[in-house]
Amino acid sequence: MTLTVLAIDDSRTIRELLKEALLQAGFEVHLAIDGLDGLEKLEGLAPDVVITDINMPRMDGFGFIKAVRDKGTHSALPIIVLTTESAADLKARAREAGATAWIVKPFDEVKLVSALRRVTAA
Amino acid sequence: MMQPRRTEAGGSRVVHVMQGGYEASALPGDMFTTILGSCVCTCLCDPEAGIGGINHFLLPDTGGSTSRQLHYGLHSMELLINALLKLGASKDRLQAKLFGGAMMNNRLGGIGRANAEFAQRFLENEAITCVSKSLGGTLARRIRYWPTSGRAQQLFLRADTPALIEQRAKPILKGASDDVTFF
Repeated sequence: MTLTVLAIDDSRTIRELLKEALLQAGFEVHLAIDGLDGLEKLEGLAPDVVITDINMPRMDGFGFIKAVRDKGTHSALPIIVLTTESAADLKARAREAGATAWIVKPFDEVKLVSALRRVTAA
Repeated sequence: MMQPRRTEAGGSRVVHVMQGGYEASALPGDMFTTILGSCVCTCLCDPEAGIGGINHFLLPDTGGSTSRQLHYGLHSMELLINALLKLGASKDRLQAKLFGGAMMNNRLGGIGRANAEFAQRFLENEAITCVSKSLGGTLARRIRYWPTSGRAQQLFLRADTPALIEQRAKPILKGASDDVTFF
């Protein structure tokens, strides 16, 4: 079964890189430019997993995760944070907001795909 | 991690940014310097907020454009932009100046061009205006950058200086690609 990924990042360059890597790994890939865009696309797409950046305009990654969990309808949706940030307090904040995993950029394609498979495993 | 050299002059900071490094500031007295051979530095400034910064990167010479190669420049750009945003800059107001990417010798000629092409493509992709650039050539450059005004000064270095610079130049990829945490 093809898994659907929604990848959220305000950098077009990162979005393109993610799309290329994930398509090659066999995922169906959809992109959003920030947290608000991600929230809108989430409803129509019903992805199997979400990858989100943290530092973004309009709505950052923390805001996105909290908004998704507050909805209640996506409580089991795996959300992977992919960010340049590595501070322990930020990781703790993401965990409290409801993130599933935290990956520090620069990302390794193989490890990213491995993490996606792990969090979507039944 | 290699630390930038800092000196204090009359309450202002002068920070020398090494290869693989970046610096950002909102303090009007600050000045950043760097020395470039085939490396490229990106100077970014939000003139309305008076916030700016500089990075200095070198892509690995893999003999072609690969996603792994692009990570080096991309990560450096992301770290710089995030540092600027944290200081209060707005990404849509950023103005860029690019320097470096020289062909220092035949062996390193291709990587200088790759660095310069990457930086220009990145700015175009991210809709960041490049207000000036000095890329390519065969001479090393010393750059001074005043981050809050966006003023930059370039000095070409003597022809025998580049060899010393390039001997030290190795691609540096900061960050922790092995860092995966499951909650």
